[in-house]
Amino acid sequence: MAAAAGGGAVRALSQKEQDIQMMLAADVHLGTKNCDFQMERYVFKRRTDGIYIINLGKTWEKLQLAARVIVAIENPQDIIVQSARPYGQRAVLKFAQYTGAHAIAGRHTPGTFTNQLQTSFSEPRLLILTDPRTDHQPIKESALGNIPTIAFCDTDSPMRYVDIGIPANNKGRNSIGCLFWLLARMVLQMRGTILPGHKWEVMVDLFFYRDPEEAKEQEEEAAAAPDFAAITDYQGAEQWGAEQWTSDVAVPPVAPTGADWGAAPAPVPTGDGWDQAGAPVPADGVVPPVAAPTGWDQAAQPTAQGWE
Amino acid sequence: MAERGGERGGERGGFGRGFGRGGRGDRGGRRGGRRGPRQEEEKWVPVTKLGRLVKEGRINKIEEIYLHSLPVKEHQIVETIVPGLKDEVMKITPVQKQTRAGQRTRFKAFVVVGDGDGHVGLGVKCAKEVATAIRGAIILAKLSVVPVRRGYWGNKIGPPHTVPCKVTGKCGSVTVRMVPAPRGSGIVAARVPKKVLQFAGIEDVFTSSRGSTKTLGNFVKATFDCLMKTYGFLTPEFWTQTNFSMTPFQQFTDLLGKPTKGLVLEAPTETVEA
Repeated sequence: MAAAAGGGAVRALSQKEQDIQMMLAADVHLGTKNCDFQMERYVFKRRTDGIYIINLGKTWEKLQLAARVIVAIENPQDIIVQSARPYGQRAVLKFAQYTGAHAIAGRHTPGTFTNQLQTSFSEPRLLILTDPRTDHQPIKESALGNIPTIAFCDTDSPMRYVDIGIPANNKGRNSIGCLFWLLARMVLQMRGTILPGHKWEVMVDLFFYRDPEEAKEQEEEAAAAPDFAAITDYQGAEQWGAEQWTSDVAVPPVAPTGADWGAAPAPVPTGDGWDQAGAPVPADGVVPPVAAPTGWDQAAQPTAQGWE
Repeated sequence: MAERGGERGGERGGFGRGFGRGGRGDRGGRRGGRRGPRQEEEKWVPVTKLGRLVKEGRINKIEEIYLHSLPVKEHQIVETIVPGLKDEVMKITPVQKQTRAGQRTRFKAFVVVGDGDGHVGLGVKCAKEVATAIRGAIILAKLSVVPVRRGYWGNKIGPPHTVPCKVTGKCGSVTVRMVPAPRGSGIVAARVPKKVLQFAGIEDVFTSSRGSTKTLGNFVKATFDCLMKTYGFLTPEFWTQTNFSMTPFQQFTDLLGKPTKGLVLEAPTETVEA
């Protein structure tokens, strides 16, 4: 089920196969040079250079299982998603935003789950972590407080007190973003917010970590692009008409699933570059183009100017 | 039964400063006879989820807490659910630490708490003043309340009166062994474990101890450990399959979801698309 790379070319790929393709592109399957004995069941093979390869089919199954558990919690605010690592922080915040959970990015103050006198005391029903090794403190505390734990485990991650371990690469920035995106989408699908056949409007890139310098560069580029494109936009809106806009607008959301991971937004001219830069107004920026193409025209002008 | 174990500790030796005053202070054995402001006691604002559920009366028996192994962090929880709790100070020992300016004395209080019907708790607290130590020990004792399993020696007539089987508990060098006894035997034990067993609600038992039982701390902890084990022992009654039930946190999730007055109500920052 997992491979099907050649066979899939003829017929359309199933949802699962598409997801696995995305995971392969994000290097989710690459483990580390060591393998914990409890992770052996998820490992496919060891490469010649010593790196263990994770079986992505099993990763997908565990993601489904985790999503089912998340959906079973009646109040989503009782779920805490956490990442001490910088690569996971943005993903965790976005995940919390779309599923209604609580995000803790950065240092976990010891005693948050056990010290009832602390102001940050909380008693979650479920805990989701990016790495059992760096996030070992919340694991210890959740063990004391009867809190089930889900974590993305690499091949060398300790599984102690982790109830659902999702085998995956938790070292790479693309990988972590991809996994949280998939998990969020699965949760929303199970809840019924997204219909299963449709693509999710939110892009994977939204969950990737961006370096502060890179973020600044992208902002500057995006500011420059609509700057001189805004003039053409203005005239184009009246000339082209609504139909042109829909076809134009349909392109960007589909393209990213290819190989365009957070690359320079320059390629597509006119306002589309603004789309992929994404960051400052992510939710608003991505949703409207697909939802209301005509509305986008009006939205583009004031915001494009608002860039300066 | 109101043995003032504390008296002995108070008169022992004349250690340095401030001792005499502390020795005559509030002794345990009385519930609610606090010198402090009464208001604090009555207005309990629960901090934990479990506390909130108990205050609203959703949890009636402490067994529901034991069933799901929920950690009890607020002593008022136990006070509310187990109303007949009596406490008794077993001993107050002064303990000292050497500093270059003399000795620093603190008082260690051992308090046993129980309702005489299957629930006991043991609390140990060390503090600079006797009253503080006793108060703290009572709170800790309430937090540590455990269920005690009682059984029969022979015929199953009437309510259970003795330990279900031979159990033993150990702390330090002290081991305490409890053996089921026929009705009417009474508690055959030394003064210290006898007190604990009375609080537990065990009517008849034979005991045997070993080790340095002079160390009251270890002796009393060993009997407590022994009583905890009564429910840890697997007997054929537990062979049937367990029917798992929802934890109170899941059952009352709507109630817990509502914000309490004290919380800062943040406008939902997560624009939830769920």
